[in-house]
Amino acid sequence: MNDVKNRSSSTGTWLAVLGPELTVLLPGREKARAAALWATVDDGARFEVVLDQLLADGLQAVPDFVLVAAAGRSARVLVRGSAALSVRSEDGANEVVAGDRVWTERTFSGVESLVATLPDAGERGLPAPVGPGLLRVGSLVWGADDVAADVAADSAADVAADSTADSAADAAAGEAAVPVSEPEPEPEPEPVVEPEPEPEPEPVVEPDPEPEPFDDHEPTLDPTLDGPAQPDPERAGPDLPTPHQPAPDQPASAGAPGAPGVAGVVPTPVPGMPTVPPLPTVPPVSVPRVGDQAPPTGAQPAVGRGPEHDGLTQLGQPVEQPPSGIPGQPQAPKVTARPVARLVFSHGTTTDVDRAVLIGRAPEARRFAPGDQPQLVTVPSPHQEVSSTHLEIRPGSGVDHGTAVATDLGSTNGTLLVQPGLPPEDLQPGIAVQLIPGAIIDLGDGVTIQVTQP
Amino acid sequence: MAAVDLHHGAATDVGHVREANEDAFLVAPDVFAVADGMGGHAGGEVASAYAVQELGRLTGRRLGSRAGVEAVLESLVRCQVRLRAYAEGQAGSGGPAPHSGTTAAVAMLVHDEDPRWLLANVGDSRIYRLTDAGLDQVSTDHSVVQELLDAGRITAEEAAEHPERHVITRALSAAEAPEPDFFSLPLAAAERLLLCTDGVSGMIDDATIEALLTRHEDPRDAAEQLVAAALAAGGRDNATAVVVDVVGLAKEHAYDAQQQKLSLETKLGALP
Repeated sequence: MNDVKNRSSSTGTWLAVLGPELTVLLPGREKARAAALWATVDDGARFEVVLDQLLADGLQAVPDFVLVAAAGRSARVLVRGSAALSVRSEDGANEVVAGDRVWTERTFSGVESLVATLPDAGERGLPAPVGPGLLRVGSLVWGADDVAADVAADSAADVAADSTADSAADAAAGEAAVPVSEPEPEPEPEPVVEPEPEPEPEPVVEPDPEPEPFDDHEPTLDPTLDGPAQPDPERAGPDLPTPHQPAPDQPASAGAPGAPGVAGVVPTPVPGMPTVPPLPTVPPVSVPRVGDQAPPTGAQPAVGRGPEHDGLTQLGQPVEQPPSGIPGQPQAPKVTARPVARLVFSHGTTTDVDRAVLIGRAPEARRFAPGDQPQLVTVPSPHQEVSSTHLEIRPGSGVDHGTAVATDLGSTNGTLLVQPGLPPEDLQPGIAVQLIPGAIIDLGDGVTIQVTQP
Repeated sequence: MAAVDLHHGAATDVGHVREANEDAFLVAPDVFAVADGMGGHAGGEVASAYAVQELGRLTGRRLGSRAGVEAVLESLVRCQVRLRAYAEGQAGSGGPAPHSGTTAAVAMLVHDEDPRWLLANVGDSRIYRLTDAGLDQVSTDHSVVQELLDAGRITAEEAAEHPERHVITRALSAAEAPEPDFFSLPLAAAERLLLCTDGVSGMIDDATIEALLTRHEDPRDAAEQLVAAALAAGGRDNATAVVVDVVGLAKEHAYDAQQQKLSLETKLGALP
């Protein structure tokens, strides 16, 4: 039976800290951090403990990382920065990316595989199985044997574009065609634990003890991944009110070890799927499984992320709607790696356009996420002809990709745009216009902006 | 630019219905916040207390806008980490999992070329500003009703009575990374700010809020009167209000004064 804690990696520049069930992926430059984490991770520390240590120097010190706790068919994942995780679970295929968020954390059950896509990892070679240790990786796949089986069974066409399938196909090809090569020797002189060369195969017939689906939004901790949680008085803070004991009328919920789940889940064969014999080249790593004795149980209260017991405010699910931003306002701007234009203002300042630039007499930025904080440029306007937030210039998207686009934000007196070789035009409020280098934008009150190459 | 003075007032009340006040507020110039905790068995009180404790650490750091955004975010992440530890402790003690969480509405003075307000919210606690043009809700609620409003699927009148009006779509909780929205305002555009929980904004309408903010010049009176009005309107939830005034700004803000003078002289015919 597949277990997602079985991992395979190709070689590359990222650092993988591989514990019994926990995995931390860090960019290659984070050698010291990876080495420091290794001891913690190898001791089988819990998700939170490892996260705490990762963030010990503050959030800004670690812009990119991936943290995965995977065992059985459950996985808890946290992605920060530019890496991505492709997850195949009972919910289908999911891509976990952080985007503009601080990070994205998800919990999955019925997991078939996870594939980490690491930017600038210099990936080389075919994924080969790895055990606990610290090593350089270019990609990492969890539950590779099952992926291989899936890929063998599936028609290649419907998954060809999927990176999960791609890596999985690599894995399958590697396992089918060539003897599995050992991972390249760890180039670091760090304390390295080599992957165990011949780990004992896990008994294949053992039923998976973690069949219980987790709610993505379940705020309690997953006991199968973390072991029985203990109160931590230090972190809870001594100055805080002691929580009351549960009232007897509360529905029993998480934390109560119970009956369902121990029987395990036997994967249901997909009708029509050819039986693929287990691939012998991927011996599962045998490690103590922290959560074996504590299968999760517990019907969580159903509504949203849990009903409010004694108050009015409660947390629910967002309304399904297209992510269209705020009506009447431009889409949340993205920050580009390189500026697409430079703005030279008549009052003497210069600003590069690598994100939204809001220009006005007293500009206000409304509803932005931490990752896309707009640049605010205050221009002098003694006669107040320039509106407080008059004009937005930002990197264009779609057909405007690679250029800057200007949008009048409903200014009182309008915006005049003079582009080389084109007649002057008044910007229509809310309509973005692509800017050509050499363009001059007139906001009134003698304020002009010259658009040049960055 | 001379330092501005921030005058403030705050008030909170458990209300007429609830047994515990799960709201918390922070007045630590130059950082202000309200938080509306949720989750049974003291979980809400813990969550809102964490939020204001962590945000309170931002006091006196004199950050720029960009560092300010990161700092607020870090505070919220620290709050999340503590909530996680708390949830863990609860689960370990065998009790029911506390679905603890809290909203947060934050105002912090940041210092770029000029001081500005850096505002942030998670959930349905609100940030309003009062200007010469009247009351303006700056923050956008992270609530089901607000999303339905944005999608044009319900009207404002329907929103006030919507059965899901207390359901929020983002919060600080153990489960998810905080996703605050940020706002950046020049001080002159927000000489009076109101941060309040939905126990205020859900009980009295914007016109009443505007009237009270306009009538009571002292921010302490304004905050107390807002909470009193929410109680008088039913007090169905914990009600908390923080009012912050920026004082001493007009003298420094040359062009507004100069503009007024210019326009007056123009009107009098002294200038062409």
